[in-house]
Amino acid sequence: MQIICISRGSQGYGTELAEKLSQSTGYATISRETITDKATEYGIPVGKLEMEILRNRPLSEEMSIVADMYKAFATAQTCERALNENIIYHSRMGHLALPGLARVMRIRAIAEPEYRIKRVMDRLKITRKKAKDYIDHIDEDTRKWTHILYNADLSDTSKYDLTLNATNLSAENAAKALASFAQLPEFQETPSTFQDLQDLLLAANCRLAIGSDDRSRSVNVGIQADKGNVSVTYMPRQSKEAKTIPDVLKSIKGIKSLVCTVATTNVLYLAEKFNPDDDHFLNLIEIAEKWNAAIEIVRIADKDEKPTEAPLENKQQVLRANQGETGGILEDSESPIPSAEPGFGISETVDKLIQVGHSGGARTIYGGTDALLRSLSKTEQYSLVAIGDVFSSKGAAAQRMKREMLGKLKDKFRVPVIGTEDLKAKYLFGPKQLFNMIGFAVLFALIYLIAFNFQEPILTFISKGQFGGTVYDKAFSALAVVVCVPIVAFSIGGFFSNFLKLLKVE
Amino acid sequence: MPGMLGEMFVQMTYPIALQIILLGFIGGILSGFIGSGGAFFMTPGMMNLGIMGPVAVASNITHKFGKAMVGSKKHGEMGNVDKKLAIFMLITAAVGIRLAVEVMKALFSNQDGQSASGGAAADLYISIIFAVILSFVAVSMLADLIKSKSSDETGPSTKIVEFISRLKLHPLIYFPVADVYVSLWVILICGLATGYLAGTIGVGGFIGVPAMIYVFGVPAAVAAGSELYLAMFMGAWGALNYAFEGMVDIRCTLLLYGGSLLGIYLGAYGTKVVKEGVIRLTTGVIILLCVLSRIVAVPVYLQKLGISNMDPAYNFYFNLASKSLLFVSGISGALIIIFFVQRAYFQRRKLEASLSLGEAPNSA
Repeated sequence: MQIICISRGSQGYGTELAEKLSQSTGYATISRETITDKATEYGIPVGKLEMEILRNRPLSEEMSIVADMYKAFATAQTCERALNENIIYHSRMGHLALPGLARVMRIRAIAEPEYRIKRVMDRLKITRKKAKDYIDHIDEDTRKWTHILYNADLSDTSKYDLTLNATNLSAENAAKALASFAQLPEFQETPSTFQDLQDLLLAANCRLAIGSDDRSRSVNVGIQADKGNVSVTYMPRQSKEAKTIPDVLKSIKGIKSLVCTVATTNVLYLAEKFNPDDDHFLNLIEIAEKWNAAIEIVRIADKDEKPTEAPLENKQQVLRANQGETGGILEDSESPIPSAEPGFGISETVDKLIQVGHSGGARTIYGGTDALLRSLSKTEQYSLVAIGDVFSSKGAAAQRMKREMLGKLKDKFRVPVIGTEDLKAKYLFGPKQLFNMIGFAVLFALIYLIAFNFQEPILTFISKGQFGGTVYDKAFSALAVVVCVPIVAFSIGGFFSNFLKLLKVE
Repeated sequence: MPGMLGEMFVQMTYPIALQIILLGFIGGILSGFIGSGGAFFMTPGMMNLGIMGPVAVASNITHKFGKAMVGSKKHGEMGNVDKKLAIFMLITAAVGIRLAVEVMKALFSNQDGQSASGGAAADLYISIIFAVILSFVAVSMLADLIKSKSSDETGPSTKIVEFISRLKLHPLIYFPVADVYVSLWVILICGLATGYLAGTIGVGGFIGVPAMIYVFGVPAAVAAGSELYLAMFMGAWGALNYAFEGMVDIRCTLLLYGGSLLGIYLGAYGTKVVKEGVIRLTTGVIILLCVLSRIVAVPVYLQKLGISNMDPAYNFYFNLASKSLLFVSGISGALIIIFFVQRAYFQRRKLEASLSLGEAPNSA
């Protein structure tokens, strides 16, 4: 299979380009409009979702599920076709379809404003001003849709492999060039991308099944599939409905194992190798326990490493725990666990996470940091990203490269990103925190002792503004208040923060 | 404390100190739970303890400064702060605060320029603003809740956003984190109102956050984070202004911190385990009871100002009723939140225990 995604933004040029390319290559075309119609027929209220987004309303829980269902439907439709034939998918944000999938050719079709205005005037028979307003509205609506649904920016050129300008290049010639461009080895299918495509389809089908069944349609889930091993995470308050998930997913073909984890939030753990007995990893589990979080592990494979298609080494019986109302791990069968390429400790680590009830799935991303940044979706709701050992082959440069990676991930997700070696100091209670807590407590007590033993002189000093002080007196006392208050707040806040860490209430 | 100092500041006894810590604790829980505010409970609570209104407001806004510094750091880490928006609002919010301080100063001083009897006028003014603004907030909150239950409408209404965007009041400024275009004039007006209320009753967030959501169209999480960032500067500016006028009772600020910085963590934890509908219902009811408590105290101020001929002996009962209403609303609200927090905490412990005892998987 080959997948070409065209992101349209040129008032007809993109569609024309897709059609011409289809004629010259014989590839099937799929447009967003077709998918939207089918999704509506399927029962997903796409029109209502569009209205909510275009009216700039924050999505409610119900609408977030609709958005999730729509994305899953679009992914399922595209993947299903792509597994059987070569396809050209075109939409206003076509490049965002099949997120993270490598070897997809992503094209942006643009045109200069004058070209677009003229096309709209000709097509709709309206005045120039109306055509311009119309285009502005369409662009604004597309921007909102892209931002809310994919947390992406259409103008980010790094997301495209090629940009074509309708003003300078006819659709016919552009199609010819693209047909030849598509022959490049970078856009050809590999066993790994074929597997990824199957996993995307499996995850999307699971999402659709959960959202379509009366027993589980209200559950807001996160789903990952890796070589047929599916992990589902859900919120604790939806535990009752989520218990039906294994039953709902029984009919889905291709599931090798299923792990359902109750989680308030997700933590992403990135490394080149994993060790379930590593102290840093145990710290991460402790944090997940405190936060009721699922840990998703992602192995970063080096640029030069080829994906292994080797059979998985371990088999395991997935825990069938009786978790009562709070949920936990459910089902399923004797089956391999995710991404278990030998020698990287993934299977053992996932095993450990299943045991403690915090598995959020596992996968491997090939191609180093760049591929990692491309593959991780910005729409994922992580609370923390922890980075273990990476760039081990880079020697002295490893630390610097890890720091750069921390910065890039922070920019991408806007959540705390931290090296696993710093987890304990920042999130757990240890000797350092005990020392800090005692220090803050002493400072806290000292401030109170001074303030309440010398009430009169202190109040006399800071109330000069009321009792005839000079401007300098007033300014000095005001400054003293403004300087002292943050110190007091941080010492008392620091004490309570550490105290609650000790009690594991965060 | 002798003389004028004694007239201005309350005699700090152990019971009063403990009650201020309790006010801080409950205010902190509510603040962490709602995402903004807290002063709506603490300021009237302090006034019920005999602390003059302007001193209560001044001490509270000073307390808000440090609290917002701690809170906005967390929100910043989560990417929920639109600094550009907060800074634009700050331009006029600072003017609003200064204006509020001037009004308060004028009301606080009587005709001789002394602060003795002027306290009642300032207290009455604060109570009226409190009652009007908070009634509006609580009623809107509850109405929104009922509406969302009875119709398909989801999320906050965008009618005002749509109306203002149709006016196209240039210059329009783009705020990248919130992802909205807002007219500079609209921002400046909302900033002024937020600053004025923060300076008058210490709860600018009750105007700032709804303004960002309903007027600017900012997502709720970004509105709360940006308001906290704004509150840090407004708090600093308010503290500077009130401290310059000598109205801050630093003891009250310290005691409030003693309770609020613990409460705020528990309240924030509560939002993770309580359903959104329950959060909004609890908040709306607590605010309405706080309003009622302030209204009950109004006859006392009217009597002190000589506007009403009520027998001063009744003042005690009105004060008691006002104080009881406030504490009942605050304590019951805090207890509901603590109930959910402790339930979630023990459920998690139970889950961990069941996972570690006898449920271990069998590796094949």
